[in-house]
Amino acid sequence: MSAVAKSTSEILAWVADVFETPPEKIRPEMKRDEIDAWDSLGILTLIARMDEDFQVLLTEDEIQGLRSVGDIIEVLRRHGQAGGAP
Amino acid sequence: MARREALRKAMRFLFVDRILDMIPGKSIEAEHVFDGGEDFFRDHFPGFPVVPGVLLTEMMGQAAAMCLDAESRGTGRGKAMLAQIRSASFREWVKPGETTAIKAGIRSSRPELATAACSAEVGGRRVCSAELLFSFLPLGHFASGYRDEVLEAYLSSPGREKG
Repeated sequence: MSAVAKSTSEILAWVADVFETPPEKIRPEMKRDEIDAWDSLGILTLIARMDEDFQVLLTEDEIQGLRSVGDIIEVLRRHGQAGGAP
Repeated sequence: MARREALRKAMRFLFVDRILDMIPGKSIEAEHVFDGGEDFFRDHFPGFPVVPGVLLTEMMGQAAAMCLDAESRGTGRGKAMLAQIRSASFREWVKPGETTAIKAGIRSSRPELATAACSAEVGGRRVCSAELLFSFLPLGHFASGYRDEVLEAYLSSPGREKG
């Protein structure tokens, strides 16, 4: 687990890096189908990066529940990796 | 190697000759020799034959996949399939006839994906490395009776880890 929970803006930058998308284009309300790289391979990349960067091992239910950038932030918050600050 | 044998090998897409050591789902050491009979050396490059980086990556991927497949036996997870080359570096040329020592360490292995840190050496010098991501394809997609002959040979050899 990371020593310090990331801010929302840091998580958004991380999401942008995972999906190889310009950071300015990533917003919490964005749905999965609005991000081109969030396809079947993108899901695998997201799961792997969650594990490597945050030591968060998502359950099958958590994986199925990821439908927006906000969902990613929320699941990281539940695992103590996102602090909720801007 | 006889020309006939070289041609037989050239028609295969198998870049692991044998597994030297393996802990299923954890690590693998293997080796491969590109003997020079492969067709791609005619074009890559005339007068300067070297193994293409994509094939070095495939070679590392095949070795890592064998390590994962050994772990998956009997679990229904399916066969490991290279899904993403997350990074790759090529440091030295690999020439025909050189024995390439392959190493892969499995970083994470889950039901839906796995990641591996791989490298290869020739004569103790690192020639390439890669971070690879794998997904899994149910065995029902493959021809009935399909088996990984290199992995099976290792697992059936006396005194080897049976995982």
